[in-house]
Amino acid sequence: MAGSTTDAHAVARRLLDTGPSDYAPWFDRDACAAVIANLGLPIIRSEAWQHTNVGRWYETVLDAPRPTHGDAVWESPDEVVVRDFADARTANLFGPRQTFDLERYPLAAVNGLLLGGGLAIRVPAGCQASGPVRISRLPSAYQHCLVSVEAGATLELIEEPSPHTHRIVEAVVHEGAVLRHHRRQAAAASRECTLVGVNVAAGGRYELSQLSLGADLRRNDILVTLAGAGAETVLRSAWRVDGRGHLDNQVAVEHALPGGTSRQTYRGVAAGRARAVLNGRIHIAPGAQHSDATLSTKNLLADPTAEVYAKPELTIFANDVKCSHGATVGAIDEDAVHYFRSRGIPDDRARALFVRGFLREAIDDVAVAQALGVIA
Amino acid sequence: MSLLSVDDLRVDVDDKTILNGLSLTVDAGEVHAVMGPNGSGKSTFANVLAGRPGYDVTGGAITMDGTDITGLAPEERSHRGLFLAFQYPVEIPGVSNMEFLKAAVDAHARMRGEDETSAPEFIGRARDAASRLELDVDFLKRGVNDGFSGGEKKRNEILQMLLLEPRLAVLDETDSGLDIDALQVVAAGINAFRNDGNAVVLVTHYQRLLNHVVPDRVHVLTGGRIVRTGDRSLALELEDKGYGWLDD
Repeated sequence: MAGSTTDAHAVARRLLDTGPSDYAPWFDRDACAAVIANLGLPIIRSEAWQHTNVGRWYETVLDAPRPTHGDAVWESPDEVVVRDFADARTANLFGPRQTFDLERYPLAAVNGLLLGGGLAIRVPAGCQASGPVRISRLPSAYQHCLVSVEAGATLELIEEPSPHTHRIVEAVVHEGAVLRHHRRQAAAASRECTLVGVNVAAGGRYELSQLSLGADLRRNDILVTLAGAGAETVLRSAWRVDGRGHLDNQVAVEHALPGGTSRQTYRGVAAGRARAVLNGRIHIAPGAQHSDATLSTKNLLADPTAEVYAKPELTIFANDVKCSHGATVGAIDEDAVHYFRSRGIPDDRARALFVRGFLREAIDDVAVAQALGVIA
Repeated sequence: MSLLSVDDLRVDVDDKTILNGLSLTVDAGEVHAVMGPNGSGKSTFANVLAGRPGYDVTGGAITMDGTDITGLAPEERSHRGLFLAFQYPVEIPGVSNMEFLKAAVDAHARMRGEDETSAPEFIGRARDAASRLELDVDFLKRGVNDGFSGGEKKRNEILQMLLLEPRLAVLDETDSGLDIDALQVVAAGINAFRNDGNAVVLVTHYQRLLNHVVPDRVHVLTGGRIVRTGDRSLALELEDKGYGWLDD
């Protein structure tokens, strides 16, 4: 099935000819097939794909291993209910694709058609999970996880690196609940696509901490809907891509109801001939008064051959809101490097220290220091 | 052999000659003051000693302990014991002062083939040095110079000097922006640092620092060269008469 093409028709035909996987029979795939059949696949002209080579993405779809049945590897505290996505009871957790629109995220249609693994995670109302749920490995290249944090409950969710996968994580954060979501994306040679869809109910809070270190081709779509009054979200992401790496982050925060708060902080470094994209959208719906939204993206070009595309995007349909955004792209501060060197710190280490400090404004993670060689 | 010997140093910046045959010799155990009016080349001199990029050395040589360091990288000069206290220390948010200081001290240890200092031992040393400069311990946790007042930045430079224990400390207008109390604290730090094996070059506009750190020699730099050298009384004379009389 290998082969490169930029022809969406051909890709759609191949996918539909392959047919749906037999994993999780309860899961409705008709809508997925319809989106693919109606040529809803991303094409070169799609604005949301203007910085990513669609042909390379097609290759990842066509070359991905077929669904395989195997064991998922995860750990969770006893009080959290974790089941395989294929378990028929998962259908009762909440309807998959509740947090995003299939037409808007055609990647989800491909994922749905070929789905082969996943989890359903439920934190009962009022439960403060005593430890994190850690997802280490899921079978198949196409994965779907559902997370329901019921009213007043709290959960920390950790996603370990999952190279060469197409993974969807959908979460519903109910009234007054809190979900802290940590993702590490670390494999330099990985080609992967992820979609995170989260609905946050009144008084709920969703926090994302996402670290991407290297990528051959990585596409992250994130959609957070503040679907209840006073809902909050804090999104923090740091990345470093080098070589010919490609990272495309498409983030949207939708303030659907009044009084929501969103904070987005992104720090990225592109080196070599890498390309990094951050499209950050804040949408304030009509009537979502007293929304408070900020977005900050700062980017470093470590080499003149690297590319960064940083675009905040605000659409505001309410007249009593606070929204601010800032985007910068710059080079490594040579004065800072000289300052470090004048204290005896060698040039490469001085630059690594500076980059680590820069990324730390978004995420303070020991993995950053290790990846940069700042610590062993 | 002199600790520092600068011989007929000529430096251009953006094709403009700034230093025009500067010569200076500093022996171990000495404190020298380099004074001069605005635009005389004082900061250029300090920065060229530290190997800052962007300065084109067109002639002459800088030697430390008999070794020509004119072409060495900044970190190599540091490893040989040269230290510059910056006039305008850079703010680097995200990198904690402690992390930076340990990276610097560890880099020196590695160059000497020694083990890195353990974290608890280093923290103890850093706290001692901070308290000598009347800096709060929290100061070590903050980003490098990030949001520091002018006085804190200058004291942070002296803190680094105390921890790195250089052979030659060049202090570029470390006294500027300091109130009287801070000036005395910084001067005490410099005096505590002085010993028979090291040397200090104070680059300054004013002689007030020299009331606290008494120099062995005072040099006047104008037009990119040393035009007069004397003892401490020369600084007092400059304070009294300004620089204009030197042109007469």
